[in-house]
Amino acid sequence: MEDHLKEDQFALEKKVTRRAFMKMMGGLGLAGITMSLSGCGVSTVAGQAGGAGWLPAQYQGNAAWPAQVRGRIPIEAQNVSIVRDDEKCILCGQCLEVCKNTQTVFGHYDFSLVNEIVCINCGQCALWCPTAAITERDDTEAVLHALQDPEKYVVVQTAPATRVSLGEEFGLPPGTWVMGQQVAALKRLGFDAVFDTNFTADLTIMEEATELIKRVKGDLKLPLPQFTSCSPGWVKFCEYFYPDLFNHLSTCKSPQQMLGALVKTYYAKQKNIDPEKIFSVSIMPCTAKKFEAARPEMNSSSHYWHKTAMQDVDAVLTTRELARLLKNQGIDLNTLPEEKYDPLLGESTGGATIFAATGGVMEAAVRTAYYFITRQEPPAGLLSLQPVRGLAGVKEASVDVPGVGTVRVAVCHGMSNGRQVLEAVRKGNAPWHFVEFMSCPGGCISGGGQPRSAVPPSDEVRSMRIASLYEADARMARRESHENAEVLSLYQNFLQHPMSELAEELLHTHYVDRSKKYNHLATEKLTQAG
Amino acid sequence: MAKGVLVDITRCVGCGSCVVACKMWNKLKHDKEAPALGKDAGLAAENWTAVSLVEITGAGDSGADKVWRFVKNQCLHCEEPACASACFSRAIVKTGAGAVVYNADLCVGCRYCMLACPFNIPKYEWDKVFPRVRKCQMCPERVQKGDLPACAGVCPADALTFGDRDDLLKQARERIAGGGYINHIYGEKEAGGTAWLYISDVPFEKLGFRTNVTTTPLPHYSESVLRLTPAVGLGWGALLTGMYVYNRRRNDVAREEAEMRISAGKGKGRKGGPRK
Repeated sequence: MEDHLKEDQFALEKKVTRRAFMKMMGGLGLAGITMSLSGCGVSTVAGQAGGAGWLPAQYQGNAAWPAQVRGRIPIEAQNVSIVRDDEKCILCGQCLEVCKNTQTVFGHYDFSLVNEIVCINCGQCALWCPTAAITERDDTEAVLHALQDPEKYVVVQTAPATRVSLGEEFGLPPGTWVMGQQVAALKRLGFDAVFDTNFTADLTIMEEATELIKRVKGDLKLPLPQFTSCSPGWVKFCEYFYPDLFNHLSTCKSPQQMLGALVKTYYAKQKNIDPEKIFSVSIMPCTAKKFEAARPEMNSSSHYWHKTAMQDVDAVLTTRELARLLKNQGIDLNTLPEEKYDPLLGESTGGATIFAATGGVMEAAVRTAYYFITRQEPPAGLLSLQPVRGLAGVKEASVDVPGVGTVRVAVCHGMSNGRQVLEAVRKGNAPWHFVEFMSCPGGCISGGGQPRSAVPPSDEVRSMRIASLYEADARMARRESHENAEVLSLYQNFLQHPMSELAEELLHTHYVDRSKKYNHLATEKLTQAG
Repeated sequence: MAKGVLVDITRCVGCGSCVVACKMWNKLKHDKEAPALGKDAGLAAENWTAVSLVEITGAGDSGADKVWRFVKNQCLHCEEPACASACFSRAIVKTGAGAVVYNADLCVGCRYCMLACPFNIPKYEWDKVFPRVRKCQMCPERVQKGDLPACAGVCPADALTFGDRDDLLKQARERIAGGGYINHIYGEKEAGGTAWLYISDVPFEKLGFRTNVTTTPLPHYSESVLRLTPAVGLGWGALLTGMYVYNRRRNDVAREEAEMRISAGKGKGRKGGPRK
């Protein structure tokens, strides 16, 4: 019995030392190979989306603080135009750079804050932000909601600048002309009517040129030079920093707000639609337009119908938001045919087309002002007013108008350039009759809501978009705003004449002094006192 | 030299650069549920610093009904930290450079530091299996290399000034003397002095600061009592030992006396009688 047991134990030991051992080691080896092949247990640089070395240095660990960490601008949580995702922010300081130096907003007020963060809503920071931490406030949800509501009559207008930039979001080169495709896309989205902000750009010129002539002739007791008022970023800048120059600012609303007011009055009347059922959307290259549309005084249609709580424009989408909306709905701009804007508020001229470029408003105004004064067609030189074209910061031109003499104009874009002109006006050595201001460098074509085709925005992209606008202007049969047949019939059937009582009510506005919203720098206090 | 940071409340614009810099340097997570910037901002396990917007009625000379001020919160790095004093495992210590730092390897998780802190700064990882206490460390690796703490280095509005605490106090007094501030340097005396100092144009209680903090360093309260521990321990022992010796001796004497009395009383029958 004992011997038998001993033998068995001996046999077992033998098994372990040979076959079982080999089996065990082989199994372990196989398991190890399988694990390493499947990537289990391999240590990678934690959480890198683009692989090792792809992300900027500041993500690579605590080795050193990268030199490019510089801080960022303050953004109010309630800002209607822009929002920021802290998680994406790398403190690179690009927003500070553009806000402080290009737009001269940050750092141009003294501490402490009063009760808001000084912001002109231009959205240039969103264009410069390399990680897209700063973006437009997304309003696509509200628009989709309105489109799905059968009760609502949803209308849309498209700014002059979006037709040369929307294509970039769909892979087309900068400046590609997609006016017709954009209309088609908006109709596919389900808008009941698609209007053109260019129509009211022409209307703006009619009103603004009339105002200018009245100022020059002395019918209006307001000073010269007259300032344009189409750029809501610029208007807010003026309200913050130069409220003493309000009298220079044209009282004309921007084209967006003019069309908003007309849709809920003129158009509603003509088509017999309840204005309260109209939901008015605008497609803009601009984040400041969101702020402009939300201004409490932009409710002329309420006044007209004696109703309360009706904004003229209900929602503003930037070019980027429209592109996102189209992609979400599965609409490819490239495959769409060209379609036309809807009548009544859809026709436009070359003068309106160039509104989106720096100098464009001025050129369009000069064409029409020349006609208004002389009742003659402007000479060919005025249809291509080279001195106000291009990307120089401050541009000047003088135009000889028979019967009046030399009309001197200036154009500036980017608020640091604007400050130069404004300081000259403040000091009283401004030789101009009319000055065009655009908040964004290059004008609306490089607005804060435009596609990020170059980050930071480049003059190359700006020039391509501008060139496309001037080409379109040159192609057009009607190039002066006063030739717009629909504008003329609007005056005939509704407004009577430029700056009529009704036009003043619907198309003109007033401004708010925001200089108490921040503390002034010591130097600024001195200049204002002196 | 003990370092510190001077926070000028009047200069803060609420951009949150410091918040993001802190998260980047210390690899802290962003959590939308626990914001580190704005009206609802607060410190949390992953928010070592938070900038809160405070709306104040009837302050400033601007004539506005409500004015905005931004308050950056983080560990104040007390000169004599109550948390370090409460920590029996020496996980929290005050360094010579002024920072109050935490070593997770030594922490036993008792959270006495959280109870001890007069400013309610240390936070706990309640959702972790092996939780740590979390708070601002004043970037000791950076300061050691002569760099600024991450937050102070990135402020675009010059609201944060890093330097020797004594110099900062001098600077703060100069700024207050220049006008526009209330005459109070928060942190100069609070809790016996803190490395982080604040100056403001608005009374600190309106900004949510705790202004009823004692000016005595908190560890002093416990130390004045605990200092007696050895004396009390040894003295009590000695007393009890003495009493024991005394009692024992008394009992012995009493027994012997009793025995003697018995032997004296029953002396005759002792030899023959049965022993009880």
